[in-house]
Amino acid sequence: MRSRAGPIVLVEPNPDDVILTMRALAEDDGGEVVVLSDGESLLSRLLPRDGSAPLEPAIILMDVHLPTISGPAVLARIRADERTRRLPVVMLSTSCEEHDVAESYRLGADKVVCKPVAYNDFARLVQALSAYWLDLDAARPTPEGMS
Amino acid sequence: MNTTTDRTGLLSRQVAGIGALTLAVCAVILVLGWRTGHPGALATIVAGVAVLGGAAVLAARTAVRQGRARAQAEQREREARANGDRLLMVIDNTSAVIYIRDVDGRYLLVNRQYEQLFNITRDDLVGLTDYDLFPGPVADVFRANDLRAMAQKTPSVMEETAPHPDGPHTYITVKYPITGRDGRPYAVCGISTDITDRKRAEEQVRRLNSELERRVRERTAELEASTRELDAFAYSVSHDLRAPLRALNGFSQVLLEDYGGDIAPTGQDYLRRIRGATDRMGVLIDDLLELSRATRAELHRQPVDLGSLAGKVVGELLQVDPDRQVEVIIHEGLTCMGDPDLLMLVMQNLLSNAYKFTSKREDARIEVGSVENAPNATFYVRDNGAGFDMVYADKLFDPFQRLHSASDFSGSGVGLAIVARVIARHGGRIWAESEPDRGATFYFTVSPEREERP
Repeated sequence: MRSRAGPIVLVEPNPDDVILTMRALAEDDGGEVVVLSDGESLLSRLLPRDGSAPLEPAIILMDVHLPTISGPAVLARIRADERTRRLPVVMLSTSCEEHDVAESYRLGADKVVCKPVAYNDFARLVQALSAYWLDLDAARPTPEGMS
Repeated sequence: MNTTTDRTGLLSRQVAGIGALTLAVCAVILVLGWRTGHPGALATIVAGVAVLGGAAVLAARTAVRQGRARAQAEQREREARANGDRLLMVIDNTSAVIYIRDVDGRYLLVNRQYEQLFNITRDDLVGLTDYDLFPGPVADVFRANDLRAMAQKTPSVMEETAPHPDGPHTYITVKYPITGRDGRPYAVCGISTDITDRKRAEEQVRRLNSELERRVRERTAELEASTRELDAFAYSVSHDLRAPLRALNGFSQVLLEDYGGDIAPTGQDYLRRIRGATDRMGVLIDDLLELSRATRAELHRQPVDLGSLAGKVVGELLQVDPDRQVEVIIHEGLTCMGDPDLLMLVMQNLLSNAYKFTSKREDARIEVGSVENAPNATFYVRDNGAGFDMVYADKLFDPFQRLHSASDFSGSGVGLAIVARVIARHGGRIWAESEPDRGATFYFTVSPEREERP
């Protein structure tokens, strides 16, 4: 059951993590997943300047550690724009550094999670996240107020 | 004394003699006058003699009185001189420099210490002023201090500096006015004690202190730099080591799940071993980070109930393993002043150790309490588990030291190192008592105030 429209967007620079995350998501449902490797490409897809249709994710799973613009900085930009302000954003941290966690929440992350080393735990976590944001949180209004 | 008495006695005897002689002469003249029949003329003579005798007595008395007064004055003068000598002896035999200058700054008196110090005799000094002895600016200061002291009713205390061959000397000086009978000051007395040695020692202390402060600043900066490095290291350990570890763990798991059928059983066993190793390494990294956090985290002291912390930890432990039977006793009143988050690490590590090392006993028992009548609040966590040989007690709190094999009891060997750091940061002490197979007791104290960095 997919109640919320739009793909899951994974912003993950580590190719290993991309494969493992994709596999965990595939075990669950197999819905559309858009993979981006940095924050700039995410922002240009969410807020296109060339007139193309904007990406409308059901949920963004974004690593805290991104090249060039950091995860929290990308998050701040998403929250600053009226069109993307209400997008569900889950930040994934490998280090679980208190500072990273606190900063991400301060900037408006819906959830900050630590990536466990054990794959089984990691897979369970990714599946729980997608289930929650796509199904249980479906009543949240979308940016344009459409379902 | 005797001389005076003698002289006075002699005079009175002389006076008595003159009086008796006058009376005798008068009596003879009267008797003669009676016999010769010329009492009138004789009476005149008697009267004359009597007057003469009286005058002589009076004169003699006056002389006696004057003599007595002169003797007393001489006596007073001698006593005064003796007093003066005694006082001079007192001021000459003190280590202080003593001097008296009149209202115009001219020396009236100095003690021997002064003479020696400035190489001048008191006789030569009388009548001179400080302007004859010291450079103008120095004399100016002395003069100003004199005038100020003279205007006060009570002694004034001040610090003065005088030039000497070996450099300026510092004196602590007491000055007070000397007043005449009319109550007006006519001189000022100064008593100066040389405090140059003390002053130089103080200067030395000040210099050493500032040197020390400078070094502390340098060391603090170095320490801050290395703390930043440690932070960066901990950060990169937690991020850079964990990410590849996750890949190792993930892909070995995925291989087993997706391609398990293509891999021989031995190959599958190897993959499981890779996964097991990455699990352990993950725990090790987490423990290392915990150890670093226990060292770096700021200490926020407040009243902490160790009993309630212990209760929470035990609750979690029992939840993970609900089938285990463990008797847990937590005594009342286990309060101290400390950081609740850090002390939670202490209770977590000590209790999970106790829980772990009693896992092979049917009658497992864990007790948390405090030692009665201990001079400092001393708490303990006691178990009746595997225990250890006290020979290794000193290694117990070193990181990565393990007294049991991983196959008997798992663990990274970091837990007690974390506990020891937290206790040390609370200015406390930790020690253990144990015997193999007879359990272990970990004691610790928490000092109420100071923090000591390990």
